[in-house]
Amino acid sequence: MSNRIFRLGDRAVYAAFIIIVLALPLMVDDVFWLNRIAKYLVFGMLGLAIALSWGYAGILNLGQGLFFGLGAYMIAMSLKLQSFTSLQQGSDTPIPDFMLWNAQPGAPTDLCCITPGSWLWIPFQAQWFGIVMAIVVPVVFALILGATIFRLRISGVYVAIITLALVLLARLLFIDLQPVTNGFNGLTDLGWLTVGGIEFDPFMVETYYIIAVSVCAVLLLSRWLISTRAGLILQSTRDDPNRSRYLGYDVASYQIFFFTVSAGIAGFAGMLFVIVSEFATPTYFDIAFSISMVVWAAVGGRSSLIGAALGAILINTIEASVSESETFQQAWRLIIGVVFVLVVLYMPRGLAGLARDLLARVVELSGRAGRKDARSTRTAAE
Amino acid sequence: MRAALTIEGLEVNFGGFKAVDGMTTVIDDGELRVILGPNGAGKTTLMDLISGKTATTGGKVHLFGRDITNRPEHEIARAGVGRKFQIPSIFRDLTVLQNLEVAVSHEPRVFRNLRLGMAAADRKRIDDVIELTGLDAVLDTLAGDLSHGQMQWLELGMLITQQSRVILLDEPTAGMTQAETSKTADIILRLKGTHTILVVEHDMAFVRKIAERVTVMHLGKLLAEGPMQAIEADPAVREAYLGSGGMH
Ligand SMILES: Nc1ncnc2c1ncn2[C@@H]1O[C@H](COP(=O)(O)OP(=O)(O)O)[C@@H](O)[C@H]1O
Ligand SMILES: [Mg+2]
Repeated sequence: MSNRIFRLGDRAVYAAFIIIVLALPLMVDDVFWLNRIAKYLVFGMLGLAIALSWGYAGILNLGQGLFFGLGAYMIAMSLKLQSFTSLQQGSDTPIPDFMLWNAQPGAPTDLCCITPGSWLWIPFQAQWFGIVMAIVVPVVFALILGATIFRLRISGVYVAIITLALVLLARLLFIDLQPVTNGFNGLTDLGWLTVGGIEFDPFMVETYYIIAVSVCAVLLLSRWLISTRAGLILQSTRDDPNRSRYLGYDVASYQIFFFTVSAGIAGFAGMLFVIVSEFATPTYFDIAFSISMVVWAAVGGRSSLIGAALGAILINTIEASVSESETFQQAWRLIIGVVFVLVVLYMPRGLAGLARDLLARVVELSGRAGRKDARSTRTAAE
Repeated sequence: MRAALTIEGLEVNFGGFKAVDGMTTVIDDGELRVILGPNGAGKTTLMDLISGKTATTGGKVHLFGRDITNRPEHEIARAGVGRKFQIPSIFRDLTVLQNLEVAVSHEPRVFRNLRLGMAAADRKRIDDVIELTGLDAVLDTLAGDLSHGQMQWLELGMLITQQSRVILLDEPTAGMTQAETSKTADIILRLKGTHTILVVEHDMAFVRKIAERVTVMHLGKLLAEGPMQAIEADPAVREAYLGSGGMH
């Protein structure tokens, strides 16, 4: 009985989310706002990806920014080559402006050899290559990393430390490889995503829809994944990996699969973020960003995909509205920190858990009222 | 009779201390074998070696003629060995029904499990196990909220659902009331014949109720083997137990 109500409630929240996200442009005609919301939706995707690995697999990835950043850089390379300035560097083929500033004296103005490693950019002249790589690179990287970690049966806090260390390493590397990545400044002044002759200006309703549809699709796909048998088995490995092994499951293969899916979603999110924000910088590899994702998921509810997504959207919306004032901005960091600690200690299921408990309470109360009604009619009849 | 489990000179060396030291025994298909032995005799370690939890340093384990020595746990499980632990090992954050659903493990691969729902035959199997273990009233309860006895029955139920041909039970009645112990004995007796069962147990009343052949371990070695009456009369067994408080 109450289970059916929970299922209904759950479906209602998903349906409401999807309808609101898709109908939003009808209500908001300020394109700057739409652009902002598109970014929060991307963060929602990041919260969801964390919930998938942390909540359902018990894998706390503190370096999810690594996959987000990789996805972002891959598409940004293609969009950089598509930018107007890249075509203005005195060569027949596009050359990123920063490569000229970093070029060795006398080096030919060509992607093959203008800077050490610039040849890496050659295939990115095709935009589809950047799009494909934005998914493939994070996925392959996660696959290798996951296979190493989980085959060795590394778990818990060690996974957190390893992923944290890796995202730091990536940050150093991307800053250090100045001639290929433009170092600290990252890739800015990007062209627009162009599909079938349509240029997707970040401040266009169509661009918002790319994000909105992607987020809804990822949400539904992830929900399907966790409701399959594989999703249930994954949750069993979170609770007691040894029991899963003695039932005959190769625990590592489940962890690797879902860790990789989560990384793939983060990479996809990185790509979408570049499309709406028009830059990719090493700040994506900042520890603070990766930890923020975990905070969003924790507050929203790590054992609920949509809860984690809403947590991310909610926190970012509040953050944006308080960040107008300097003092508030300072206070906000503190508030979020305290909220995180409180949630982890006292509300491990986050806002989603709170909503469920409220619903349960309502069901219980109405059930009791129903029984009371039945009783009073019975007494009246007697 | 065909051998289900053949244990040959099994040994594990924990830095000089051999917890299991040249243990040899053969368990027939469909047999219910009780393993007795004073505390520290190496009974749990023997199960660890059979199920792949601990790597052996010598000897062989064959399951229906197939060498399973030192294979990874999940491969040994797929080969047909199910294991129940001394401390119940169940999925505490999943419901009782979900625990049983996970235990339907004839398709272990990730990609093959990317589907919703279950085959009717598997549903039927789960229903039978629910009936056998009497867990029907708590199907939607989180396994972590069950009573101690119910947890033990759930774990037992998972092994049956898993369709293990050989089931290893390590002290299945530990911490149970008399009524619970008796119910556990009934469940185990109903499995007799369709499964090969290896039980480690201390509760002598329980052992007398279920035992056919008994194996006694002492200091990691086989001390005696035979029918229950003969074992109870065996002076060597009495002596081994005297040093550690006797048989109860
Ligand atoms: N991993 C281990 N390392 C060292 N000694 C162990 C280990 N596991 C078990 N032992 C020792 O092996 C002996 C047998 O233990 P165990 O198999 O648990 O006995 P039983 O189950 O018969 O009471 C004990 O003395 C125990 O301390
Ligand atoms: Mg023991």
